[in-house]
Amino acid sequence: MTPPKDFTAAVGSDMRVAPRRVLFVTRRTSPQVKLHDEERVQTFPEVLVRALLAVECLAIALVLMSLFFNAPLEGIANPTNTPNPAKAPWYFLGLQELLHYFPPIVAGVLIPGVLITALLVIPYFDINIEAEGFFLRNRQRRLLVSMGLSAAFAVFLLFFDVYVALPAVAVMAGLMLLAAASSPQSPNRFRRYLALRPVSWWIMTWFLFEMVVLTAVGTFFRGPGWSWVWPWRS
Amino acid sequence: MPSPIATALDRLERTRVWRSIFRSGKGRSTLHNALVIQQSVFLHLFSVKVRKRMLSLGATWYLGTLTLATFLLLVVTGVLLMLYYHPSVPQAYTDVKDLQFVVSSGLFLRNLHRWSAHAMVFLAFAHMFRVFYRGAYRPPREFNWVVGVVLLLITLLLSYTGYLLPWDQLAYWAITVGTNISSAVPLVGDKIRFLLLGGHFVNANALLRFYVLHCVILPLSAVLFLAVHFWRIRKDGGLYVRESEPGAAEAAQTSTTEEREKP
Amino acid sequence: MQTNKTGFLSSIRAFVRDPFRMFGMVSVILLLLLTIAPAKDYFSQWRGYQRQYLRFIGSRGDAVTLRRHFTGGIQQIWIPKLDVVDRCQSCHVGLAEASLADVKEQPFRAHPPIPHKLTEFGCTMCHRGQGAATTVEEAHHSEMAGEEPILPARYIESSCGQCHHEPLEGAPKLNRGRVALARYGCVHCHTIALPEGSTMQATDNPPPLSHIADKTTREWIYAWLKDPASYSATATMPNFQLSDADAGDISAFLIANSTPQPGDTIAPPAASGDAASGSDAGASLYGESFCASCHATQNEAGNLVGGDLGPELTNVGGKVKPGWLMAWMRDPQKYDPQTPMPQYRWTDPQLKLIVSYVEGKTDPDFLANVHLQPATKAQIAHGKKLVIEYGCASCHVIAGVPKPDNFAPELSRIGSKPVVQLVFLPGMKHTLPAYLEQKIRQPRSFGPSLHMPRYNFNAGQIEDLTTALLSLTDRSFSLPASLQVPAVRETSYQPAGQAGQLMASLNCQSCHRINGHGGTMAPDLSWEGSSVQRAWLDNFLKNPNTLRPTLIRRMPRFNLTDAERTTLTDYILTVYQTPAFDRDAMPLAGYPPQLIEQGRQLFYSKYDCQSCHMVNPNVDKGYIGPMLTHVGARLNAAWIFHYLKDPQALRPGTIEPNQHMSDDDARALTAFLMAQKSGAGQGANQ
Repeated sequence: MTPPKDFTAAVGSDMRVAPRRVLFVTRRTSPQVKLHDEERVQTFPEVLVRALLAVECLAIALVLMSLFFNAPLEGIANPTNTPNPAKAPWYFLGLQELLHYFPPIVAGVLIPGVLITALLVIPYFDINIEAEGFFLRNRQRRLLVSMGLSAAFAVFLLFFDVYVALPAVAVMAGLMLLAAASSPQSPNRFRRYLALRPVSWWIMTWFLFEMVVLTAVGTFFRGPGWSWVWPWRS
Repeated sequence: MPSPIATALDRLERTRVWRSIFRSGKGRSTLHNALVIQQSVFLHLFSVKVRKRMLSLGATWYLGTLTLATFLLLVVTGVLLMLYYHPSVPQAYTDVKDLQFVVSSGLFLRNLHRWSAHAMVFLAFAHMFRVFYRGAYRPPREFNWVVGVVLLLITLLLSYTGYLLPWDQLAYWAITVGTNISSAVPLVGDKIRFLLLGGHFVNANALLRFYVLHCVILPLSAVLFLAVHFWRIRKDGGLYVRESEPGAAEAAQTSTTEEREKP
Repeated sequence: MQTNKTGFLSSIRAFVRDPFRMFGMVSVILLLLLTIAPAKDYFSQWRGYQRQYLRFIGSRGDAVTLRRHFTGGIQQIWIPKLDVVDRCQSCHVGLAEASLADVKEQPFRAHPPIPHKLTEFGCTMCHRGQGAATTVEEAHHSEMAGEEPILPARYIESSCGQCHHEPLEGAPKLNRGRVALARYGCVHCHTIALPEGSTMQATDNPPPLSHIADKTTREWIYAWLKDPASYSATATMPNFQLSDADAGDISAFLIANSTPQPGDTIAPPAASGDAASGSDAGASLYGESFCASCHATQNEAGNLVGGDLGPELTNVGGKVKPGWLMAWMRDPQKYDPQTPMPQYRWTDPQLKLIVSYVEGKTDPDFLANVHLQPATKAQIAHGKKLVIEYGCASCHVIAGVPKPDNFAPELSRIGSKPVVQLVFLPGMKHTLPAYLEQKIRQPRSFGPSLHMPRYNFNAGQIEDLTTALLSLTDRSFSLPASLQVPAVRETSYQPAGQAGQLMASLNCQSCHRINGHGGTMAPDLSWEGSSVQRAWLDNFLKNPNTLRPTLIRRMPRFNLTDAERTTLTDYILTVYQTPAFDRDAMPLAGYPPQLIEQGRQLFYSKYDCQSCHMVNPNVDKGYIGPMLTHVGARLNAAWIFHYLKDPQALRPGTIEPNQHMSDDDARALTAFLMAQKSGAGQGANQ
């Protein structure tokens, strides 16, 4: 029999046998539980009207866009005539940009596979669930590790000529240094914010930053033969 | 003195037909408002009540709602476009040309479909990052996050399969580039590509396959996962609120409970 | 005031904060937007043009008719078989209105008359562009991913060439361009496959170079390689823009590679003192032999006089060695079996005369500055390398250097080359025709390492060539075979036997076409045996004259012996007969006078033959067709009869109109024409 104190998110009719998790107690806060929830409003009409409002604003934007900008349509598909460059849709251009540096097995299979897996398992990682600032504890060691990782990553990128991804590494390393040097009580709002960022935030932001940079490069800065072009000089 | 419109509405709501459709009945009471949600097959996936803090724009940016809205817009415009479109080579291309140049408002429809598709991909990504940064993926919402990731993949696949349908150069080569990547998968890469394209090259078979995926299989899967996604929002405790946010402290009364055991 | 304003602002703020009011307002905006969405359709360009057209015709005299012809909405020509969906007439509304021919401005001009109906092939088959599009930009100028923009009107004849591979009346540019492609040897290096399965053949005759040292000197080769045009303005040899060293090396290799050929040289005539009188006699022999029918020379005024079948001879004395020229004049085919030059049967004194006359045509300046050091082994080896590199053997036979296959890019579909696949020079127009023109004008401007030589074409020739190249499209290969009009197929017909050898040595087929093989300068001889009478033919070969008043005589006299002439006449009369009729079915003379008189009436009144032909030179003014003053002594009666019935059946392509004569009329006219034997205009002078 499972002891009643063991919190598992199982579902059963007998609450004594399989208690449902109804609250989550974090380490930092005192073991408190709300007796009464905060103020609530009714979904109809308060939420629905606002949601519809947002939807309508989006619809207006899209309709206006459709009125003034035409969707692209090129010549009929011709297998014998390869456009240069042949580009994938914009949301895959980050990957296509990676394909330029790494063999297809890495850029086309390994990296997307790892990304999807990582996204799927994020909530099942229990590390630092309280989301405390990464550099608030073990500052020296964590700083050393993060700087070491940044440097290793930069060397790795250099090795594969991925120069476009380097500025993002530099910016992130700089932000980490700043975060490590800031305290949650800092008078500067931005530094306070950085100091409180947990490790997951750093990883995700780094990833997001790199992906945005790569996608932007693939979309705007790549011309014939995937060579570098300046979009304003064409 | 009530306005004539209000009177007419009032009269309409009293009719037997109206009451047979909308069970919530007349009135603006809490009960009635709750019944509106509860009695509707579409709305009952949502909670009857929502924390007041979630109404503010900054809480969610309505990104999830907007993603759903683009999906619905895509379904509507997509179904209309299907009326003119044959998934065959080279008729597909000429059909799209006809949509652009001859069909009344065909160009508008296609534009709306195209831009909504891009918007949906963008909004889905934005929604995901918003959820992540707010920490809304944490237990007990972990499974809903997984469903969300699946929905993101479905969105990408929807957009990608739709990309081929105009059968123009842009479409053809984007799909060629994309499917070539799949052949890099060790051992089964070429098989996967063959399965995707229904052949070794992007040709009429691939077009038909992508059409079926785009118009039937993927939208149905999306609807399925969307239902789970919404249902789980409600079952996982409604929209996520962060404890540290303003408003939480006043709203919550506290009482002690036993300490959590450390694993 | 202040409070008022604040009150207004705060009421706005209150309004914005109230989601229900906002919802109402935004809903109204969205609904409004959705209602005006169809306006995108309403304000489409083609509707605008149709409205403009209605206003435009309203002010014209023929408004009622035009308005009756007008139908609103998208107009399209749809030909599934040809993959044509052309909506051009949605904007070009008056295209089919003959009464709008006076309109000068697009888009409402009437289409100029063409041999095809507008609905037969649609618009884009000829004009290119996007037929399905209904906006000006998309229809005319789209180049996205291989779409073809509209073809500039000056190249429009190229579109005829997609189906018509034969010489086409009404498309002179295309014809000239095609002739130039063959004549300037473009197709030696660039393969041009035709949809009917054959490839375009070159018509130039690049001389073989295996025995070149017999013919000319290294210095001349050097100067010629450096700039062929400075030797002869009409040279078909292009300028390879060689450096001095490279030209020296190539000339060294060609001379070193040359082997003497027995019979290529004969001891030249000794330079005699009476050069002046000799040259006079030589000049008259040159004239009598009608050398100028094929060879041009520059006269004092600097104009070229003469034909272009053979090379220009203005400065030939500086080029060829006298000993070689002697041998060449005696038997040209010995040196070059492919030459079109006939073998004149000159006597030795005549040979000496003509050789010394031709050798006298020199330009001392041409070789004045050429001083070459003796060639070294390394130079010769480098010369060979260059000969291979520049593909000289694509055109010339050179011993030891095989003809390269597909030396240059194939041009069979060059007219459909997508603009995106082309590399343009800065400042160039980004169109295919502009690219082709520049490529022909200055091939090396696209890169100094390219091998294509520069030709001396003028702007007109470049336009002709571009037109011909633009006709080589993908579409011309995908069109249904039923639409293809094949090029005139060249057969390999050669006459046989003793007469055949004779005709080969005379190179009759350099000028005359026989059974689908031969030149086009002179009449087709395939059915000459059915056509002419023996006495006339024998006499003509003895002393040729022209049949048409407006043409200068070009047939040379070949100094044939009586026996040779008889062989030739017998052969022509026996072999070159049409299977359509028996040439002796009608008598040559003895027609009743009333029939002749009836024929005369028909000649002068019913059929107006005198507008093109002359029976009595004193009265008639027809300068277009052949003289008929002696026709009764020249042609067979049966030939005349059948020719009158259906001229094109016997002479395809002749401009003689088919009058669909009755047998009686044709018989009467034949009788009248057969009476014209002595040039007196029998029965014609009344």
